[in-house]
Amino acid sequence: MSDEKKIEAPKPAPPPGPPPPKNPGMVTLVIDGKEVVAKPGTNMIEAAKSVGVDIPYYCYHPRLSIAANCRMCMVESSAAPPGKLVPACQTGISEGAVIKTDTEKVRAQQKMVMEFLLLNHPVDCSICDQAGECKLQDYYMRYDFEPSRLEGAKVLRNKRKKLSDLVVLDQERCVLCTRCVRFMDEVAKAPQLGIFGRGSHEVVDISPAYGKLDSNYSGNIVDICPVGALLNTDFRFRARAWFLSAAPSVCTGCSRGCSIYADFMGQDTYRFRPRENEQINKSWMCDKGRLSYKGLNKHRVQQNGLGRGAEVKDVTPIEALRVAVEKLKAHSGKVAFMASPVASIEDLLAGLAFARDVLKVKSVYVSGRPQGEADNFLLTADKNPNRKGLEVIAKAYGLELKPFTELTRAIDTGTVKALFGLGHEVPEEDEVFAARAQKLELFVVSATNESKVVEAAHVVLAASVHVEDEGTFMQGDGIIQRFRRAYPPKGDSQPHWKWAVDLARQLGLEMKATSSREIFKQLAPQVPELATFEWDKKAPMNQKRPGISTMAASADGRPPGWREQGVPNLRGLSLPPGT
Amino acid sequence: MRLGVVFVSLGLIFGGFFALMGGAYALGGVVEDFGRTHGVSGLASLTNILILMLMIVMVFATLLTLAERKWSAFMQDRVGPNRARFPGLPNASLAGIPHIVTDVFKMLTKEAFRPKNASKVLFALGPMLAFAPVFALFAVVPAGPTLKIFDHPVMMVSTNLDFGLLYLFAIASLAVYGTSLAGWASNNKFALLGGVRASSQMISYEVALGLSLVGMMIAFSTVKLAGPDGMSEMQMQYLWSTRVGSFDLGLPAWGIFIQPLGFLLFFAAAFAETKRAPFDSPEGESEIVGYFLEYSGMQFGMFMIAEFVEVVVLGGVIVAIFFGGWSLPFGNEWLMNLAVMKQYPILLGAIYGTVFWGKTLLLVYLQMVIRWTMPRFRYDQIQKLGWQILLPVGLANLFVSGALILWDPSLRALALFGFFVIGVFAFLTLTPPKQVRQEQEAADDHHGGHGHAAPAPHDDHAALPASTH
Amino acid sequence: MSSHSHHDPLEKRELVEADIRERTYVPEILKGIALTTKHFLRNLFGERDPNPDVVDRKGLATITTVNYPEEKVDYPPGYRGLHRLVPREDGKPRCVACYMCATICPAQCIYIEAGEYGGDDEHAESRVIEKYPKQFVIDELRCIVCGLCVDACPKDAIRMDTYTHVPSEYNRQGFVYDIPKLLKGPAVSHPSDPWYKRGSSAPPDHVHKEAHTRITAGGAALAKRPPLVEVVKFAKP
Repeated sequence: MSDEKKIEAPKPAPPPGPPPPKNPGMVTLVIDGKEVVAKPGTNMIEAAKSVGVDIPYYCYHPRLSIAANCRMCMVESSAAPPGKLVPACQTGISEGAVIKTDTEKVRAQQKMVMEFLLLNHPVDCSICDQAGECKLQDYYMRYDFEPSRLEGAKVLRNKRKKLSDLVVLDQERCVLCTRCVRFMDEVAKAPQLGIFGRGSHEVVDISPAYGKLDSNYSGNIVDICPVGALLNTDFRFRARAWFLSAAPSVCTGCSRGCSIYADFMGQDTYRFRPRENEQINKSWMCDKGRLSYKGLNKHRVQQNGLGRGAEVKDVTPIEALRVAVEKLKAHSGKVAFMASPVASIEDLLAGLAFARDVLKVKSVYVSGRPQGEADNFLLTADKNPNRKGLEVIAKAYGLELKPFTELTRAIDTGTVKALFGLGHEVPEEDEVFAARAQKLELFVVSATNESKVVEAAHVVLAASVHVEDEGTFMQGDGIIQRFRRAYPPKGDSQPHWKWAVDLARQLGLEMKATSSREIFKQLAPQVPELATFEWDKKAPMNQKRPGISTMAASADGRPPGWREQGVPNLRGLSLPPGT
Repeated sequence: MRLGVVFVSLGLIFGGFFALMGGAYALGGVVEDFGRTHGVSGLASLTNILILMLMIVMVFATLLTLAERKWSAFMQDRVGPNRARFPGLPNASLAGIPHIVTDVFKMLTKEAFRPKNASKVLFALGPMLAFAPVFALFAVVPAGPTLKIFDHPVMMVSTNLDFGLLYLFAIASLAVYGTSLAGWASNNKFALLGGVRASSQMISYEVALGLSLVGMMIAFSTVKLAGPDGMSEMQMQYLWSTRVGSFDLGLPAWGIFIQPLGFLLFFAAAFAETKRAPFDSPEGESEIVGYFLEYSGMQFGMFMIAEFVEVVVLGGVIVAIFFGGWSLPFGNEWLMNLAVMKQYPILLGAIYGTVFWGKTLLLVYLQMVIRWTMPRFRYDQIQKLGWQILLPVGLANLFVSGALILWDPSLRALALFGFFVIGVFAFLTLTPPKQVRQEQEAADDHHGGHGHAAPAPHDDHAALPASTH
Repeated sequence: MSSHSHHDPLEKRELVEADIRERTYVPEILKGIALTTKHFLRNLFGERDPNPDVVDRKGLATITTVNYPEEKVDYPPGYRGLHRLVPREDGKPRCVACYMCATICPAQCIYIEAGEYGGDDEHAESRVIEKYPKQFVIDELRCIVCGLCVDACPKDAIRMDTYTHVPSEYNRQGFVYDIPKLLKGPAVSHPSDPWYKRGSSAPPDHVHKEAHTRITAGGAALAKRPPLVEVVKFAKP
């Protein structure tokens, strides 16, 4: 060092002006020997990511403000004061900077940070649901891998503090990255969490000004928590993360249509997690939508049924189809058609084609879930994920869409005596419509879940839900989203479109589709809004999961067949469905 | 304790023989008496069939099904079957004897399966044809002396044919039909192969079988087995004898002494005829299973029981031809002339019958122990042994024996030759083979010459007799 | 080396011309018969020594059979036998339903259903223990007895030290072992068990004091801990 000074000292150098940018309008720098061209204002973490350099971090989140408090992302930069490391999340990039993320000094820093974070961490991974997708675990294996030097006991905090009905906090596991605090403050706009205490007794807790955590977006803090401190009570202890496979899907809770991952094992969905989608939901989703996965598991119509009331009996799909065809023939030309906007675009394409060409209807009654409350962020009032899709398809097919009230009136007046329902959801009380449906001479419904409406039907065709098939939804703003199939349909159920195709065939209309892809390819060109949608290319990648999860799964590189059947099939164990 | 059990069991076996044979004579006498008073003679043959064949041979064979397993277990340091038990008794009681009962029930209750395209009649006929001839073989074997009971002579043989040995050959060659028919009718490649192997083997060995007995026929100038002029009884006569008081002592003219080679040849050929190990390649479990591959239940049971009947009958035949039949090696005259025997001829008959069955038991054991000692011959080895060894040796034995009998009709020269042969085999048995000797010497040399204290461990293995042959 | 060369087994493999004793079969057969008969007679007259250590058997008989259900061979130390769920001192399983065994199990024979003790439950353990197995089932027919579950267990809650193997059953369902069937053997505790550290999952009254007393030389809570090294051997049945 002294030599350099000696050489530099005699030079009366003028202050060097900033060199001209290599790429005008962009910042060019070198990270780990790789040249990076990035927009001004990009931070080092994102710039490094673009060339495949991983800088570890806990507190940084691209959609939250920068806190720079975890000190895990410290890197060496030529633009920094000599001998100092800079936090990569907070430091903007500068022209010509040389950044090194893998030097001795950086590694020592990372090791020290890990040791401090783990000093009072309880290391109770065996009962921690984050295990398998925990940054502490991953970074420990990658950057630390040293035994604890702590002699004596760790600081004890509250291991089980219920923040709300959905979120439980383990203060011992917390690394105080404040992601949750910042999320509640900045995204949910409800600063209900804060950091309290000092030193080693610092904890995350509910802000006394609010006294409770009741935001509709509190589930997101579980997702963004890099460790197992914040956990979802709904998912807690139900499955280990590495047993789950993730299927890219769409939330059907409302017309927002948030992109999600449906985490599943066997033929059961265990949770929804938001999937990044810049257009719709960014990285978030609401708690109502998060819990809407339950309908995929429980109270499903798995067997086809005939008769109503006491005469109801389960039959095979072939028998159900035969009876449905027979009865529809008997009421030929007098069958009204009601379509639920909960069904996917493919279901509606086939269903409405069946209605128009086989049942010869001129208009379709719109059923679907009733309107609900909305908020100013993601939740919308329309609880049907595909109303827009139904509208564009009906318009293209030349079918008139009639509101549900007209159907109820028609049934009451007796003008509609036979009804085919695609989807069991109705926008009025189930009991009310069920009572009304008693007047129908024929009520055929392809239904996914059990309800009073289904009980009132003469023929129940078991239908599968969206995660059991490939397909698309058109959400409230007209954005078409593809979702992927997680697992095969439960029980004897099959998709709505398949019922429509089967019925149409039996009733004399030749429909050749054997998959939802073929349905879309054959029927979507008739619909201008759908004609340009690239069904295959727009399918979200089924291959990788976001984040740093080491979890192996079929959707994430897990060898196929590994736990694909869910819980081991133990003889004689009868597990309640949907557990 | 254990010793006591063994001796009680032996006592039971021999007591059973004694009682059965006594009963056979008594019943024979009664029936013969009844027949003669009604003008029919020879009715005792019927009771002989009943008791000798149905009771003794069949029960003997039935017990052998267990004995084979039990004995082989003892030879191989195992316990053998001991789990079957009668209700109420503890486990492993009765040393597994109930296995006989359970086996019978198993056989009888199992489905008699017939392959779809098998020939119905021939398939059903196979086991019967395999079983009947071996059973019929015993008809000419005398199990005891001809005695006067209730003033009528009672022969302890089912039928006394003048052509006894020829009957043996004739009937023995019939057994080949059973096996080859069973193999063919099963409509199964492996069964057919087994049947073909069995028939060619049996036909090959018939030559050696016949030739091996010609020496005995010319020695005694008869082909008759039973009766005072039969081969069996004629072996009682002494070659050399002396007397100690009224007790006669000497060397009888048993076939084993005057025709040891003939005995070996006959024994080997008879083994091949009965297809027992080491000649059991027609039914080799590890290769083709054999001609009864498709049989199940009691149809298979017929094949199995036929094999054990064969063992017993073969033992009886060999005893009758080579081991002096029912006679004791010495003291026969003394025994027959005892007053108590003259008074109660049934007693004498029972004693001699027991002697006969005792000898048979020994030969049965011999057959069993050979089976559990020898590995199976390869098929080409079987044919080579039959045609290239047994046949020439049989011919040579015939010529030498014939010459010696012509030279000395008292058979003493023949007996001396027999002793020579036995002596040669005894010498060969008691001295180690050349290879072992050489290696022994080499090891000694090596040890002395180089002064290595410890010979290499595998020397021991190499020094083993060529037991793999 | 050269003097040893003829010890090479490969050189011994030259075909030796058979001796007359072997070519005539009879002497060799007689020797064989003598050997088998010797064994036969020894085992016929000798009483079998039921000592399960076969090599130590005495007496005339050379039988090596162990009459299994009545006589049993002692399994060697470390024998991987039937699983057991290790109980805590209060009789409940130590298992925390972490699924490590189910994950590692190559036969996928372990099924676990985790449950949560509510913080305000009546159970005493609920104050400090959060997760427990509602169902813990091992299909012993599927198990390949590899012992990986034992290695994987972070809580020493599953062991294979019962020194017995799976007993026979008359139906397959009998081989599906649930918690009542698996939970047996002596209780085990370790100093690291949470109930030695705290009374409940709530923070202690004096967090500050608590933390610091622990970092210094032990404290009162440490005195209750069991010895560090503990070898609990399952009592052989």
